[in-house]
Amino acid sequence: MALSNLRGRVAFMFTERDFDVDQIVGVKNIKLRDPAELAAVAMQAYDPDFARQVRPGDLLVGADNFGYGHPHYPPMIAMRHLGIRGVIAESFSPGYWRGEIAMGFPQVACPGILGFVERWDDIEVDWDGNRIVNYTRGSEIVIEPLSLADRQMLDAGGIVGYLHARDCSEPGAA
Amino acid sequence: MGYTITEKILARASGGAAVRAGDEVRAKPDFVVSYDFPGYTDVIFRQMKDEFGIDKVREPDRFVLFIDHMVPAVTPQEEDLHQNTRDWGAANAVPVHERKGIGHQVAAELGYATPGALVVHFDGHVSQLGTFGTLAIGVRRQLLEAFVKDCILIKVPATTRVDLTGHLRPGVMARDVFHHIVRVLGPASCRFQVLEIGGAALADMSIDARQTITCLAMFTGAITAIINPDQVTLPYARERARLLIEPLYSDVDAAYAARHTIDLTNLEPVVVVPPSPANTRDLSEVLGTEVQVGYLGSCASGRIEDLRAAAQVLRGRSIRPGFQLHVVPTSQEIMRQAAEEGLLTNLITAGAFVTSPSCDYCFGRLGVMTAGQRAVSTGTLNVRGRMGSPDSEIYIVNAAAVAAAAIEGRIADPRRYL
Repeated sequence: MALSNLRGRVAFMFTERDFDVDQIVGVKNIKLRDPAELAAVAMQAYDPDFARQVRPGDLLVGADNFGYGHPHYPPMIAMRHLGIRGVIAESFSPGYWRGEIAMGFPQVACPGILGFVERWDDIEVDWDGNRIVNYTRGSEIVIEPLSLADRQMLDAGGIVGYLHARDCSEPGAA
Repeated sequence: MGYTITEKILARASGGAAVRAGDEVRAKPDFVVSYDFPGYTDVIFRQMKDEFGIDKVREPDRFVLFIDHMVPAVTPQEEDLHQNTRDWGAANAVPVHERKGIGHQVAAELGYATPGALVVHFDGHVSQLGTFGTLAIGVRRQLLEAFVKDCILIKVPATTRVDLTGHLRPGVMARDVFHHIVRVLGPASCRFQVLEIGGAALADMSIDARQTITCLAMFTGAITAIINPDQVTLPYARERARLLIEPLYSDVDAAYAARHTIDLTNLEPVVVVPPSPANTRDLSEVLGTEVQVGYLGSCASGRIEDLRAAAQVLRGRSIRPGFQLHVVPTSQEIMRQAAEEGLLTNLITAGAFVTSPSCDYCFGRLGVMTAGQRAVSTGTLNVRGRMGSPDSEIYIVNAAAVAAAAIEGRIADPRRYL
């Protein structure tokens, strides 16, 4: 199964390095579980109009070490509910990365992304071409390739699908 | 070019052939460790059965569960979670340890920190088993993989090696060393790598001190930390080890992604100011800041060395009226030792609120702060809302500095009390 390219607008740029994603919903809302409730409180500190402006397929952009701290799942549950299809950052904190990839939520490491896009640019993540195309500006930039396991996990929509798909005949498989 | 201890452990766990950083391998974890927590173990138990039709894990000796969060339970739902964990453990013949202390510490006490072994957990603070030359990685929800397959697919991480040199001055502790490493290297310096700690300064560092440093590896961006076994850790680890395997060591010509040497000779006590573990400063920059709450405990700190330091500061003194000092030894074994050494008597006499081991003070479930309150803490983390209201603040300091602040009601230099 081929991983679909991500085509959408840059819905927001988190330019703070070491960004703590819990801030997206606010720590006081971190125990909410309902995606609609989470979506209703998301981004209030950054752009109260965010939910109105975002469209399905849109993407987020982050700075270096995105997801630092003790990341929790609710912020990106909120973002997916609002239609966000992936996150592109200069680099990621591994705990956040591993958690979201296991949820089947595409994450793209792209050194230079902050200088390559502006908010609302129309861009496409081209997995096989290892690049992001910026249609608004007519430019492209290289992305870091996914590891085999990460790619398989995104292909399968997350950890459960990935484990189902894994060939049980391979050595070491249960 | 030689190999790192991490490469050797993953080679061993993936069948024996040599592996290098960057290779993707199928590795069989020697131990699969977790504590029960909503969204993790309950979901894993359910998915094992509902998604994969697996009623029982194949090799129960490879698994261990701890009940250390939500201890004691304060709602029926919490006790339901614990009971579900006990039932699952009984049905699977998997040991469930509860009320013995924080699992990452108890795992070492029970021998899961076997030198040379590979351990996985969902929680990244399991990195502290690296104190004993164990490669212990927190994989979040990917832990499901280790419950339903024998092997996990893992990319062999590169290693950043940090050699510590010099001797710590009185009043400067392992907690200061770790946050100084973050200050020197940066919070993204070891992203997706292993932080390997070595150097002559380790000779002075107890097991407790090393557990503090390796526990917090994630705040350098590392996926874990590891220390080559030595005469300090081997007797402890081998006496308890649950596997008969030879310890592994990095070769002297191992290939590292980066090497750094950090001299500790002139290190002063530090503070990590809110709201990020990236914000290390000298403690002297915040002296006098008013604080109302102190927390001495957690999987990072709260061991006998920490309790001795706090007891030394507080011996014959009293904490400031109204100040809330919570002292939570990391395990029952540590608490018993602290009682035998008379440390608990000193702490209680000074006015500390001493409770049995639990994770709950660290993540804002017990002893929570309201808006406007400020804590000095040896907990793992100082992000907003970690210990209560999002409008409270956490200053991370060493155990002696928590005690000193408890006396003054302000952030204070502990060295004047030593």
